[in-house]
Amino acid sequence: MIRLIALLLLLAGAATVAARAHEPAMGVLELREVNPGSYVAGWTLEPTIGGDKVQMRFPQQCHYALPSLECGPGGLVGRVSIDNLGANMSAVLIKLVPLGDEPRSYTLTSGNPAISILGIGTPTWQTWREVAITYVNVGIDHILLGVDHLLFVLGLIFIVGPGWRLVKTITAFTLGHSASLAAAAYGLIGVPEAPLNACIALSIVFVGLEIVKLRRGEGGLTARYPWVVAFSFGLVHGIGFASALSVLGIERALLFPALLSFNVGVEIGQLAFVSVVLLLIWAHRKLGATLSGWGEELPGYVIGVVAMFWFMGRMVRLLTVA
Amino acid sequence: MMRALALAALLLLAAASPAAAHIVSSRLGDFYGGALHPLTSLADIVIWLALGLVAALQPPHWARWIVLAFPAGLLAGFVAAPVAGWHTDPIALNAALMIGLGLLAAAAARLPGGVLLVLAVIVGVVRGAANASGLDPETDPTLFGAGLLLAGYAVVTLITALAGTFRRAGAPWRTIAMQAGGSWIAAIGLMVGGFALAGS
Repeated sequence: MIRLIALLLLLAGAATVAARAHEPAMGVLELREVNPGSYVAGWTLEPTIGGDKVQMRFPQQCHYALPSLECGPGGLVGRVSIDNLGANMSAVLIKLVPLGDEPRSYTLTSGNPAISILGIGTPTWQTWREVAITYVNVGIDHILLGVDHLLFVLGLIFIVGPGWRLVKTITAFTLGHSASLAAAAYGLIGVPEAPLNACIALSIVFVGLEIVKLRRGEGGLTARYPWVVAFSFGLVHGIGFASALSVLGIERALLFPALLSFNVGVEIGQLAFVSVVLLLIWAHRKLGATLSGWGEELPGYVIGVVAMFWFMGRMVRLLTVA
Repeated sequence: MMRALALAALLLLAAASPAAAHIVSSRLGDFYGGALHPLTSLADIVIWLALGLVAALQPPHWARWIVLAFPAGLLAGFVAAPVAGWHTDPIALNAALMIGLGLLAAAAARLPGGVLLVLAVIVGVVRGAANASGLDPETDPTLFGAGLLLAGYAVVTLITALAGTFRRAGAPWRTIAMQAGGSWIAAIGLMVGGFALAGS
């Protein structure tokens, strides 16, 4: 019973957070150099709070007043930051198009609200490092706010239980979503976001059903071949992860490190979640606070009901938009 | 010397809590803000730890109910605070709870099951109300409250299980170590109480 209450508490949070999980308020600011040190500035994707509300800070030599940015002969070199990144505006991508050089992209997030822009010809290792730090953070944020992904992993833990099988199952999920994330990010596959989100919800309904079947002693596909199910649905969830990257519009030259870092961030968040759940399962067993009898099926029902609620909501959105 | 250092560290932690909570909230939203807010507060950390220690010193068939009772108290306090107009975190009451729970742990007191549950609910109500008092108008109370409840459940469950496992592992010195921990908590409560009196 107590474990059920714990699950309900998690789901109470999940149900309320989920609506926001995949609707990040982001913006894209393009800075195009027209004369040395002079840029035309404009929002190609305006954040929901409005471009004029974004509190940008440019280096001292620069004067920023839309639609222009004047930096003088020193050019746009130095620290750029945003003061009001947060719940209302989670990330801003700055696309810099210098004269006579390759375009560059920089992402500012609430976890990483400042960047250093380097001059032309500067070694780029710092850029890679910056990309890595930024996208590890984006990956962690994405998984921790992606309640549907976490609920799927929770369902797998309920079915497989702690132990070596769980390691293999989570690894299969990781392999699955890493493969599809890479494929989607490089444009090899493309699935519209709305039906994809409905499929993700349906995958969680499936896991909920599998928990009920397992508790009734009927076995089930996930109980027999958890890594197959985890890998297959991991492919679906990975395309969902890719949508977070595509929204940021990272340029192709930086795609590989961004993708790798994002994936590392997702794994860090996922491992943290799995660790906490396993610790709580251990604690409940030690305290003898476990479900028994018909109560054992309840987690499956709760996960299934929440996921079905999401599925129906996403289908309604899909059908009404179509 | 050590206690003075510990108190200084804890007071620094208490002083830093609003800033830390806002960083969490702005990055991951109000749910995680609510979950991590208590962990940036001296009162929550010490009192939750003390409650877990006291529960771990009880027979397991009673200790397990704290997993329900404490989050229920947190929920009640969190909901009641805005209705009742509680807008402060009462330092004197926190100190009293630290002293009381610390002494119970130091004495390894066996409580009747009902008393333990009532105690857990009372502590939950006080800390739930205190956490609700820090909400700014921009915070979503539902998300913040859900995060707070989840954190309360998880932290107290883990502390109770860890401390109970530690105590039951064998040698009698383990219980003595937990009692020593209780005395430290009571001492911290006395110092916090003294600090509150000095500041009033």
